[in-house]
Amino acid sequence: MASDIGLDSLIDQTISVITNDGRNIVGVLRGFDQATNLILDECHERVYSTKAGVEQLVLGLYIIRGDNIGVVGELDEELDSNLNLSSLCAHPLKPVVH
Amino acid sequence: MHGRAHFRFGAAVVDSCAFCSFRMLSKRASVSLIAGTGSLQLPLSLLKTAQGHPMLVELKNGETYNGHLVNCDTWMNIHLREVICTSKDGDRFWRMPECYIRGNTIKYLRVPDEVIDKVQEETVKRPDRRPQIGGRGRSRGRGDDSAGRTGGRGGRGYQEEGGDRGGRGAARGTSRVSGRGGGGRGGSRGRG
Repeated sequence: MASDIGLDSLIDQTISVITNDGRNIVGVLRGFDQATNLILDECHERVYSTKAGVEQLVLGLYIIRGDNIGVVGELDEELDSNLNLSSLCAHPLKPVVH
Repeated sequence: MHGRAHFRFGAAVVDSCAFCSFRMLSKRASVSLIAGTGSLQLPLSLLKTAQGHPMLVELKNGETYNGHLVNCDTWMNIHLREVICTSKDGDRFWRMPECYIRGNTIKYLRVPDEVIDKVQEETVKRPDRRPQIGGRGRSRGRGDDSAGRTGGRGGRGYQEEGGDRGGRGAARGTSRVSGRGGGGRGGSRGRG
């Protein structure tokens, strides 16, 4: 069924979104539509850098326009809580080039 | 269609389906509601409920607009009042009494947290409204039908309907054919 491959199964779950400008936004999916516009509740941005650990910026309630979404992924909360983000270094993602 | 189909049945069904008829904007939404997850929102409904609230809009070009939402539409075009625009690098600001932003230039919107609770309230309220409206409409339609039938004009009514449809269909058909013929003639004239 088509609904099995949609985002239905991710509703009210924590998801990780990579946007076209290279940001990583983590939050609870409250809604979406046919254009992949998303409602992300209690969300925060994870800012990666090679110099320091991951910085988490609290964003709150966001509506992200579908045009700007690269990847939507399910977040394993248990696995995620075991991460030591403050000691995690990574290159920031580059924005999508059209 | 979805809602209408349900309204034909008993009141109990209308009640239980009031929710999905409200959600009929998206077939998926009603599916997930039936599954019991229950709190799916549509982004544009959330935006609509955010009317009057302050919000931050970031455009694809990196500019941000802070203002109060006056109105929005299904394309996500938005009208803001008391706006402060910030340049991409965040070092220049412009104040403007109002602005209108085309939906497709938006990257994301940041809305106050309490707005999501408001939508949920409305989700609870709205199903009461919808079936009434739908019910009225349907009953009116049915009333006409049944009046026709009880008046002994049911048969004729049906025939008339059929005849009407046939007539319309024929009319359409002929108009199309003539249209095409005209086009063809035109074409042949052109060629000739």
